[in-house]
Amino acid sequence: MKLRILLADDHEIVRRGLCALLQKREGWEVCGEASDGREAVEMAKKLKPDVVIVDIGMPSLNGLDTTRQLMAHDPHFKVIVLTITDSDQVIREALDAGARGFVLKSDAARDLVSAVEALQSKRMFFTPRVNDLVLAGFLDKGHVVARNQPPSLPTLTVREREITQLLAEGKSSKEVATLLNLSTKTVETHRSNIMRKLSLHSIRDLVVYAIKNNIIQIQMPEPARAGAETTVA
Amino acid sequence: MAIRILLVDDHPIVRQGLRTLLQGRGDWEVVGEASDGVEAVEKVDRLQPDVVVLDVTMPRMNGLEACRAIQQKHKNAGPEVLFVTQHDSPQMMREALDAGARGYVVKSNAARDLLEAVESVSQHRVFTALARASQVSS
Repeated sequence: MKLRILLADDHEIVRRGLCALLQKREGWEVCGEASDGREAVEMAKKLKPDVVIVDIGMPSLNGLDTTRQLMAHDPHFKVIVLTITDSDQVIREALDAGARGFVLKSDAARDLVSAVEALQSKRMFFTPRVNDLVLAGFLDKGHVVARNQPPSLPTLTVREREITQLLAEGKSSKEVATLLNLSTKTVETHRSNIMRKLSLHSIRDLVVYAIKNNIIQIQMPEPARAGAETTVA
Repeated sequence: MAIRILLVDDHPIVRQGLRTLLQGRGDWEVVGEASDGVEAVEKVDRLQPDVVVLDVTMPRMNGLEACRAIQQKHKNAGPEVLFVTQHDSPQMMREALDAGARGYVVKSNAARDLLEAVESVSQHRVFTALARASQVSS
């Protein structure tokens, strides 16, 4: 029986590359491709893939919240998170969300096949340089991350996180309501709750919060210095 | 028309994606790959491609510097340079064209624009496409 993989990344060029990489393996097939987190959740529920590979920086619903929604729907989903950053906060959030694999995009060509194999064998997989961070975190009883980073998103519900991302991406309450099949009034209520819980006073504050907490990722307009960190997402 | 292409991007998975797209054209050949600007300049000398598909942000030497180096070295006899980048900004596009590139495509739309862009620049026509629109001129 074939191993069925669902890919979620907003860049088609990256999906093409991942597809080509994964389908070289006999017995593996990419059963679906999603271009944002919301689509990934819907497709995963329908297709029931063996492994789901999600990019962190997707529009509409980011990879971390996609993972949370998948795990809430069925904790047996095996999720690998693809990311451009190996910050310990992101690693911790990915693990907390339920991901069992963590691969840097820059290392995907080398590590992704191993990651899928590991999850298939009910093991976890971390890109080697991430492994050290995770191990250090465990050795320090998990306090390394907590000490270095403020706790993220302490009180938001899954729905509030979704709405936070959509508002931070510039959508109006009405647009959010349409997208989530809610009334505008319900979205406004969520919005007020979010602002109150996080002690925020404007949409600008909300955007800053969303960026700081990896709910949205921004493309830096300043370019091209050799050696600068690259972002595919 | 047969076109020889050099792919330059520091992410292997993106190079693989670009290669897969270009394979749609049987008469085009990816003659090599490079993962930074230094390697790109060296491979242009060695492989003499018709078109260089070049990322902007890369380690060691970025795409703009590589493009300038290629133009300086080969003058009018060199390959055409097509940028495929995440930078969806008119300023960056202008910098790329000023550096001597003939084309500019945003990565998020590469699947839509790449083949047309390669075709255009290989015929020495400018192809620029930011995320919301595309434009070709001679």
